[in-house]
Amino acid sequence: MAGLFHVLWGQPGGGFNAAAILTGTDDEPLIIPVEESKYQTENICTRPTAVDWDGDGDLDMIVGNFAGSFYLFKGKGKGKFDPQPELLKSNTQPLKIAGAHSDPFVIDWDGDGDLDLLSGSSSGGVQWAENLAGKGQKRPVLKSFKTLIEAGKRTTQVSENELTGPTMATRIWVDDVNSDGKLDIFVGDTVSIQTPAKGLSNAEVKTKLAALDKEIVEAMTALRNADADGRQAASQRYRQIVLKRNEIMTVERTGFVWLYVQK
Amino acid sequence: MQIFRDLEESDRTMKRLILSTFVLLGTAVAGAAEFAAPVRLEGGGQPVRVESPGYAAPCWADIDGDGKKDLLVGQFNKGKIRVYRNLGKGKLSTAKWLQAEGKNAEVPGVW
Repeated sequence: MAGLFHVLWGQPGGGFNAAAILTGTDDEPLIIPVEESKYQTENICTRPTAVDWDGDGDLDMIVGNFAGSFYLFKGKGKGKFDPQPELLKSNTQPLKIAGAHSDPFVIDWDGDGDLDLLSGSSSGGVQWAENLAGKGQKRPVLKSFKTLIEAGKRTTQVSENELTGPTMATRIWVDDVNSDGKLDIFVGDTVSIQTPAKGLSNAEVKTKLAALDKEIVEAMTALRNADADGRQAASQRYRQIVLKRNEIMTVERTGFVWLYVQK
Repeated sequence: MQIFRDLEESDRTMKRLILSTFVLLGTAVAGAAEFAAPVRLEGGGQPVRVESPGYAAPCWADIDGDGKKDLLVGQFNKGKIRVYRNLGKGKLSTAKWLQAEGKNAEVPGVW
């Protein structure tokens, strides 16, 4: 998770080369430079998107990061980028999403002829920053983000059949999927799915988990209050109870892809 | 006649008011959108899903050059990418891993 960018260069006639580290015009790996005092979350990138951001005919890269801000690597043509990125701003302040894990997607969302910026978020949902520059203006002038699609229900674990939409850590793609002239949005997510152990119904799992959760709270309290002599036994007791969850259900972290069709 | 001039002025004021209202309405709704309830996508009759720990990252692009855009889904685990070919009529194929140099394409640096 160093914050480097990789590219699968296309091969003549089709197919791809294995991933290669993307370099700048200085032939060094591209990366957002951070001061030592800053958190590394500023340069661990969640997603790059290639687009001619400044209208000069070269593809640039708008990249997101763990911190939730955005950087521009100016394209210099032939797959090379200026090694020194620029932090995107709204007015004079760094442009940031609500939540973390900025996930840039650049498109003319409102159909006014300029490029807007949309993003997913660690908190879920979809946000957009309107470009006020207008048609023909080369440099976007972005408003701060506002919600386009509300975040889904925040949940730690859920049964698969209870899902009604994306939950957390959203990643997006925008296109007119059904060719009706309106833009639609794909949303990928991350969710923990709980599946009842063999022979148990969802209702039985809920009842058993409720009883177990009470035991877990008691064991946790006992562990917190244990003195040095009793800590090992309390810790073992806590682990045993937590392991009991596996007899009731399995939990799998996964992610799905949802489609929001615009009406 | 003054009364006609007043009426004309009143008419112009009303027109300006109506025009301003439309401009304001246009400004207020720019970019706003209404969506149908989200639909979980399936490929080959099974939900499109990624390996643990999740982080499904969709992309809609014509990967096989048949003129129809396909669904590519990246994931955190080993940075692998699944391809769901567009079969037309709203159907996606079962998934195959994106290949690079004869192997499953992987993007290093993630789990």
